[in-house]
Amino acid sequence: MGIVRRTALAVGVVLFAAAPAAAQERSATRSGFELPAHSGKRILVFRPSVSVGAQSTGGMFEPNGDWTEKAKRNIQLSLERLQGRLGNSVVVAPEAYGEDAQRVQEHMALFAAVSQAVIEYQFFKGNRLPTKKRDNKNQVFDWSLGAGVATLPGAQDADYGLFVYNRDAYGSTGRKILQVLALLGPGIAVKSGEHAGYAGLVDLRTGDLLWLNADGAMGGDVRDEEGSEKRVRQLLEDFPGGDIKQDS
Amino acid sequence: MRQAARLLAGALLAPSAALAAAQKAAVPPPYAGVYQPQGVDEIGWWREDDESERVLAASSLVIRDEALTGYIRGVLCATVGADRCHSVRVYVLREPTFNATMSPNGTMRVFSGLLLRVRNEAELGAVLGHEFGHFERRHSLNLFRTRRTGTDVLAWTGLLVSMAPSYRAARAYRDLQWSIYGHLFRYGRDQEREADSLGVGYLNQSSLPPQAAAAMWQNLMDEAAASARARGLRKPNFKAIAFTASHPPLAERADTLAGLARIDGEGRDNGSARYHAALAPWLPLLLDDQIKLNDFGASDYLIQNLARDGWSADLWLARGELYRARGNPRDVEHAAAFYANAIALNDALAPAHRGLGLALLKSGKPGDGHAALRRYLQLSPDAPDAKLIGMLVPGGNAP
Repeated sequence: MGIVRRTALAVGVVLFAAAPAAAQERSATRSGFELPAHSGKRILVFRPSVSVGAQSTGGMFEPNGDWTEKAKRNIQLSLERLQGRLGNSVVVAPEAYGEDAQRVQEHMALFAAVSQAVIEYQFFKGNRLPTKKRDNKNQVFDWSLGAGVATLPGAQDADYGLFVYNRDAYGSTGRKILQVLALLGPGIAVKSGEHAGYAGLVDLRTGDLLWLNADGAMGGDVRDEEGSEKRVRQLLEDFPGGDIKQDS
Repeated sequence: MRQAARLLAGALLAPSAALAAAQKAAVPPPYAGVYQPQGVDEIGWWREDDESERVLAASSLVIRDEALTGYIRGVLCATVGADRCHSVRVYVLREPTFNATMSPNGTMRVFSGLLLRVRNEAELGAVLGHEFGHFERRHSLNLFRTRRTGTDVLAWTGLLVSMAPSYRAARAYRDLQWSIYGHLFRYGRDQEREADSLGVGYLNQSSLPPQAAAAMWQNLMDEAAASARARGLRKPNFKAIAFTASHPPLAERADTLAGLARIDGEGRDNGSARYHAALAPWLPLLLDDQIKLNDFGASDYLIQNLARDGWSADLWLARGELYRARGNPRDVEHAAAFYANAIALNDALAPAHRGLGLALLKSGKPGDGHAALRRYLQLSPDAPDAKLIGMLVPGGNAP
C-alpha cells in the first residue's frame, strides 16, 4: 500500500505445482559436539517464530490469529516437556528493551539467514554448493553466528540457545475438495496444506551452530496439545543427547 | 419494458455521473475511533502485522530520532486531524527511495528518501494522508479478499477445464485468467485512486494547501526525467502504465489531484520553512545515501531543487561528492570547485576538505591537494579513514 509502484504481488495459482524440494527432512550436528543425556544444561529459547493459518482454494495463505496463539502456547509447553525428558531445562528469553532488543532482533535475523543458507546450500539436493557437497561427504557442519550471542540478554544464565521457526497452512475445505476432485477427475495431484519448520541449537559462548533440523513436511496438528507434542518431537528429531522418538 | 429502458438509461448515464462524482475529493467522514479487527482474516492479518511491527521496532533500519519522528507525526496529525492520528505509530526507515507504507494495524513506515523529495509540510502531508486513506478504508484486507476470490475462481475453472480438454476450453480458460488478473491489478489501482482522493480530502480540511499533492507528483516526474536524461534514455512516458502496474500513471495522478484540490486553499502556508528546519540535521546523511544510489541525474536534480532557496555548505559538499563519484576528468574539476564553495561557507566542514584534496590529487594538483588533506586530518584526526588519507599525504602518518 505504498505511494508508488512496487513489484506487483504474485497472485499465481499453485494448482499444478509439483511437490517442492523442501518436502524432505534433514538434520546435522557440528562434529565434536556431544551433549550427554541428563547433563542438566540450560537452554535459552528465543521468541519462536510461529505462524498458523489456512490455505485458500487457490493456494493463498490466510493467517489465523487464534490458531497461531494456541500453537505458540502448545509448542512452548511441548518444548519444555521434551527437553525436561532429555534432562535439560528451558529458559524463556527475557523481554528485551532498547539496544538489547535491537541486538536480539539482529541475531534472530542472522539465525534465520544462516539456517536458510544451510537448508538451501548444504541440506537438500539440487541447490547444494559443490563445497557443501564435499562437506556433507566429510561430515563437516561448520556454521556460526559469531561470539556476539554471548552478550544477548539471558545468555549469561544459559548454556545453549534454541531458535524455532514454524509455519503451517492447513488446507481449507475448498482446497481439500479441490484436492479430491482433481485426483478423482483428471488425476492431478494438488497439494493441500503446508507444514514447514526448522529448529537450531547455538552455543551461547562461541555462537557456533551446534545442531540444525529442517523439515518441509511435518505431521502433528499444532492447534491441539497432542498434535503439537508430535510436531515438536519432529522438530527436535536427532537432537543431541538422546532419542526423543523412543522416549515417549 | 419501461424498467429495462430505465436500466439502459442508467447504464448510459452512469459513467458521466461517476465522472462528476470523481471531480470532488472524498470528504473524510467523522473518525470511528479505536478500531478492533473483525473476522478471522482481519484478526489473522493484524496478528501477522503486530509481529512484524515488533521486528520493525527493533530493526537497525529505523532512524531513532524523537525530534524527527515527532515532527513527522505532527504533520500527519495536522493533515488527518488529531482524532485520526492517534491510531498510528510512525517509523522512519533509512531507505533512500521515495515511498511510505501503512499496514492494517496502524504501522506507518516512512522512507528517508521521501523526506529528501518532498519540499514542505503540505507535500509530506499529501503522502501521509494518502497512506492513512488506505488504512482508514482497510484496503489491504479488501485487496486480500479480492485476490483470494479471484484465485479461487481460477483454481476451480482450471480443474473443470482440465476435465474437458479441448482447444476451445483451454483458450476460454486463458482468457478468463487474463481477465481475472487484469481485474485484480485494476482493483489495486482503483484503491490507489481512492487513497489519492482521500489524501487530498484531508488536506482540503486541514490548514495546509491541497495543491501540494499535484505539485509533488510534478516534481517527481521532473526528477525521473532528469534521471533518464543523464543516462541518455528517452523521457519516461508518464501517461502509460503496464498491465501489472500497482499504481495509476503519474500524469493522471497529478492531473486528478490538481482538480480535487480546493481552490481557496491555495494561499495557505505550506510550512516550507518549518520543514527545512526539521530536516536540516538529517540532510547530510540523506544526501549521502542518495548519492550512493548512483543515479547522477536524479541526485543532481534533487540537490539543485533543495538549493533553490540558497546554497548551503552541505549542499555544495553533496554536489562535490556526486561529481567526484562519477569521476570523469571534467567532473573532478567541477567537484573541486563545489568543495571550495562549501569550504567558503563553512571552513570547519571536514569532509569538504577531504573531497577537495582527493579531487585536486586526481586533477594533477598535488600541492594544493596535500594541503587540503592535511587540513582534513587536522579537523578530524579520529576519522575512520584517517590512516588511509594519511598515506596519501607526504609525511602524513608521522606523529
